[in-house]
Amino acid sequence: MDMPEKQTGIGQQSTFKVVDCDVHPYVKEGISSVFPYMPEAWKQRFMRKRATVGAEARSLKYLHPNGQVNREDARPPCGGVSGSDPHYLVQDLLVKNKIEHAVLNCLQTGALCSTLAGTDESIVLCAAFNDYLIDQWLKVDNRLKLAMSVPSQDPQASAAEIRRIGKHPQIVAVSLPLLNILMGNRYWWPIYEAAQAMQLPILVHVTGPDSIFYGPPIAAGGIPDSYVERYVTLNQAGESSVNSLVFSGVFEKFPDLKVIFVEYGFLWLLPLLWRMDRTWRQLRHEVPWVKKSPVEYVHKHIRFSTQPIDEPQNPKDLDKLIEIMGYDQLCFSTDYPHWDNDMPGQSLRGLPAAERQKIFWDNALTTFRMR
Amino acid sequence: MVEDFKPFSHREKGWDEGRFLEIAKKMLAQKKQISVGKTTDFPVGRFKIVDVEGREIGITQLKNGEFRAVRNVCPHKGAPVCKGPIGGTTLPSAVGELIYGRQGEILACPWHGFEFDLLTGDELIRSGRPTKLLMYPVAVENDNVVVTL
Repeated sequence: MDMPEKQTGIGQQSTFKVVDCDVHPYVKEGISSVFPYMPEAWKQRFMRKRATVGAEARSLKYLHPNGQVNREDARPPCGGVSGSDPHYLVQDLLVKNKIEHAVLNCLQTGALCSTLAGTDESIVLCAAFNDYLIDQWLKVDNRLKLAMSVPSQDPQASAAEIRRIGKHPQIVAVSLPLLNILMGNRYWWPIYEAAQAMQLPILVHVTGPDSIFYGPPIAAGGIPDSYVERYVTLNQAGESSVNSLVFSGVFEKFPDLKVIFVEYGFLWLLPLLWRMDRTWRQLRHEVPWVKKSPVEYVHKHIRFSTQPIDEPQNPKDLDKLIEIMGYDQLCFSTDYPHWDNDMPGQSLRGLPAAERQKIFWDNALTTFRMR
Repeated sequence: MVEDFKPFSHREKGWDEGRFLEIAKKMLAQKKQISVGKTTDFPVGRFKIVDVEGREIGITQLKNGEFRAVRNVCPHKGAPVCKGPIGGTTLPSAVGELIYGRQGEILACPWHGFEFDLLTGDELIRSGRPTKLLMYPVAVENDNVVVTL
């Protein structure tokens, strides 16, 4: 169950080491900050169109009802947006919570690559943001790890980006900004091939413009009417993608590939797997390359981050559902510095200690490329 | 049934294992063998459903000449499984490839499509808790198809 901490202070009493698989660095001045990491001609192009900060990923009705998605209390003392100062983030998140590895996933890059930038622009911007984060963030502290972004509008360029920087010792995953193309589709296969060759898992996370613009995944059935409605539907692309990955045979084609779904929730996995397993049992002959039960593929190849944890009205039901699911599927995440974050001290406190250890530490070490 | 057989428990006075085994052997020996028709009555490739002492049993001949007698109840949800098609299926293959095989050996339930191997009665998938067809021993005696209940 998810419970408040017994003592005051954020996560101060966590007693074991932690991997946090979802931390969001914010590049302070947006595109302007990464000008030094791109060719001069592209810099001139972006300056001339005054695309210096970036573009807004969300339209009016999806703005956060409280005015920002960030925690006000996570704002660095020197000013600026929460999550924009790596030195403060190390103190405020890592040191306080005994986090040994924090996987950085830059959503500015994700939104530009999935939707906001054109294909060629996204290739340049993606490389520039990756290089900026390697230079300005990873050097600050060895505990900071990076899920490198790829310009997903061009799978070949994405594969090339993985080959270009994927060997960096602090790069531990490939953050794939999803488009409205299901993850089993062959469109993505060059990216999977490159990631598998580098032993990097594919990390997927909502990038911001989801369900708002044409390009990224869109909610089933229609367009939500508010931030609340949209937030609740964001798991849908995760469900569709798990289904698609298994039945399209991705894990037969790429037998060493791992995928981690971050911030899509996970309790939906239980009924999804039961439905997938039953339907496979009935109609397996349509997809004969699916040689094992979907349950087996998912347990071997797919992981889910814990945050945001759905909260049953009886908190003990959560512990029971996770027990049914098994403890090998989950990797702890905070989603720092966002408003809906979880902290190690309060998260999943109802689980047995040995199982918490798997979720907070062991599972991530076998999912990400930790050296 | 054996007429003198009455349920008893080992707690009862007079429990006699020897007597129990004797009765069990007698019961087995008294299994009924029932002729359900001539071999020519049962074509290859589909079931003919016969009523045997109130039980619906599907009889078919396989390509290899063997007969099968299958209780017409799917172990999944009770469907009349013998009314499903007998055919082949796609064999495990590489992604995007179809290999068709086992023609005439696979029964697909008409309701939910569970596939059964008519050589063994097993459900084709082997993960989780696979089901199995209820099959009766069947033999040919002087061109008669004889089912043992």
